[in-house]
Amino acid sequence: MTESTQSRAWRKFVQHRPALIASFIIATYVLVALSVMITGWITLDDTNRRVGPPNVPGFGLQPDPEQRMEIAEHLAERIESLCDRKEPVTALREFRDLGSRRLADLSVEQFQEQAESVWEIYDQLAKLENVNDAVIASESSVRVTALLSDLDARCEQFLLPVAQTGATWRTLELLLGTDRQGRSIFLRAVYSIRVAIMVGLVTGVMAVLIGTLTGLAAGYFGGVVDGLITWLYSTFASIPSIVLLIVLAFMFAGGDLDQFINSYTGNLLRTLVGGRLDETLIPVYISFAITYWIGPCRVIRGETLKIKELEYVQAAVVMGYGRTRILLRHVLPNVTHLMLISFSLLFIGAIKSEVILSYLGLGVQNGPSWGLMISQSSQEVMKGFFWQIGTATAFMFVLVLAFNILTDALQDVFDPKHV
Amino acid sequence: MWAYLIRRLAWNIPVYLGILLFIMLVLRVRDPVFARLPKNATEEDKEDIRAELGLNRPFFMQYGALLKQVATLTFDEESWSKPGQTVGEILRRSIGPSLAITIPALVLTTCLSVAVALVSAWFRGRPPDRLLVFVSVLGMSVSFLVYIILGQYFAAYRLTQITGIDLFAISFEPEIADVDGVEFITSVWPHYYLLPVLISVVVAMGYDTRFYRAVMVEESLRDYIVTARAKGAPQWRIMFLHMLKNAMIPIITRVAITLPFLITGSFLLERYFGIPGMGNQLLLAVEGLDFPVVQSFTAVFAALYIGTILLTDVLYALVDPRVRLS
Repeated sequence: MTESTQSRAWRKFVQHRPALIASFIIATYVLVALSVMITGWITLDDTNRRVGPPNVPGFGLQPDPEQRMEIAEHLAERIESLCDRKEPVTALREFRDLGSRRLADLSVEQFQEQAESVWEIYDQLAKLENVNDAVIASESSVRVTALLSDLDARCEQFLLPVAQTGATWRTLELLLGTDRQGRSIFLRAVYSIRVAIMVGLVTGVMAVLIGTLTGLAAGYFGGVVDGLITWLYSTFASIPSIVLLIVLAFMFAGGDLDQFINSYTGNLLRTLVGGRLDETLIPVYISFAITYWIGPCRVIRGETLKIKELEYVQAAVVMGYGRTRILLRHVLPNVTHLMLISFSLLFIGAIKSEVILSYLGLGVQNGPSWGLMISQSSQEVMKGFFWQIGTATAFMFVLVLAFNILTDALQDVFDPKHV
Repeated sequence: MWAYLIRRLAWNIPVYLGILLFIMLVLRVRDPVFARLPKNATEEDKEDIRAELGLNRPFFMQYGALLKQVATLTFDEESWSKPGQTVGEILRRSIGPSLAITIPALVLTTCLSVAVALVSAWFRGRPPDRLLVFVSVLGMSVSFLVYIILGQYFAAYRLTQITGIDLFAISFEPEIADVDGVEFITSVWPHYYLLPVLISVVVAMGYDTRFYRAVMVEESLRDYIVTARAKGAPQWRIMFLHMLKNAMIPIITRVAITLPFLITGSFLLERYFGIPGMGNQLLLAVEGLDFPVVQSFTAVFAALYIGTILLTDVLYALVDPRVRLS
């Protein structure tokens, strides 16, 4: 019976076009996450490093004239201050504010001369009341535009040509612009895929596992076990999940808990997860798992109660099969679809709650996540800069939408009565 | 029915005790004494603060103290991070601002999404229905925080900048916290609370519409609808009279279940707009390791939650003669 229903469900699933597209999208996300995790083509340092001036728009769009002046001013000031250091040559060589771009091979005097020539143009532009208006105004447009491109060209001479330091990587760094601290939005958003998949996967698996075990036990054994488990989940359900989540995340965020576990298990957690970013995720995983196991537990307990009364289970009892065998061979396979649906729902829940936790400073630390990107962008939005919030939202939107569609399809396929 | 009610109440007593026990245990993962130590504190200082907070008592005594407060409904313990204010005072003061957001939001969301769900069910399977379902899934896939940030930027900031009309405030101002009565409804509420309400309606619409649509569609497949159709009743009559009336039970259940959540307010909205409501107060308490506030709040909420669930069960039995309480 199991096999025939499964294959029918499978056939229905394969015919469900949106669900296939959704699965494909999810697979792509998982592959990107894996590639980041295994090959490390984006490292944590890449996402935390300055790659250019703050709030540069993406897709190679020109920043507005006022901002172009600020960028030039910032760069020239920076280089002059480096030249004034005690050891200007090493200071200049170690300049890393522009990501993968490096300073040109010039002497200190040449740099200073170059900076002077930047100031020359800059001062001419600074005399104008508002450069943004001057570019549009017909009488000054041609002159100001020429001055601006001259300014850009002179700034460009500080640096080695892009071709020598990896043009593709530079394009990626600036593909979607930079945030308020000059970090690459694209690299951060892609690295966040890894974080999101980790959070969704770990919490989903943990919560579904706990929920399935408790639900099966409660439904099948009944009696004291059922009473105890029902009591436990009623208790958890009577505290609003968001309150529970915040309280747990805050209480465990101090690092006491993982230190405690580590000290008693010989650094088990550290060797398992490792990395300064993943360590900060432990409280997040734990609070999600404790908060969200209730859902799968309730559903699976109900289904087990129903299955227990079915004839084929009764037959198995009559044939003298042991409880464990009946539970694993006869009951468990018939609740797997519920596990799948719960997992899919939990994945969405985890990704969305991560945003809330990150906004409250209880989420990911030491690294990027979509939640952090969205919460950091509120000040940029006030200045009319939408690249960061747009990117993080778009990345998250596609994944969550795919999961939403997949969940609907799973429910359609396995539960034809569900509308 | 009374036997049922008493049995359910009796079953909920251990649950309630469990909730209080759980929240007390979780809170004690962190040591609140540490955060309150003065510089160069000695062991004695530590003990003094511990005694002052009442944490030197055995755990079951602390548990008993909380139970006593709940049983007598006197939340007169002093807040730890706001000296001079009792827990009861803090809860009472912050419940108003929370309700000013959650009640209008609940009413608006329910009415709008039931209406949209009716439209959707009317066109079931045809393009308008597909479009509505798709839009609600799209809406559900965007983070709450994004709605808040963009809502504040466009409705409160850009709108004022472009039109010059200061319709919505960018954030709450402490001076207006004490305004009440008519002035609150006419000037404070629309200016400071309406935007958060609208944002929360937009966010909740997707979820509610999908739920109510499922209810309506399920209802539209029932025999009595087929009978009504066969008799030649007009479509609008079937939709609004037959179907809506019968769909009221799941609608009321859903609304009833969300009632206790009205007092938790909305953490994100309150934090973002600086509204001094329950959610914001609770966040501050958690961050400040203010155990009395968190504990009492959880106790009040859990009581409301359990009460509401019981009440809906009983109402069910009263409304629907087929439901037997056993």
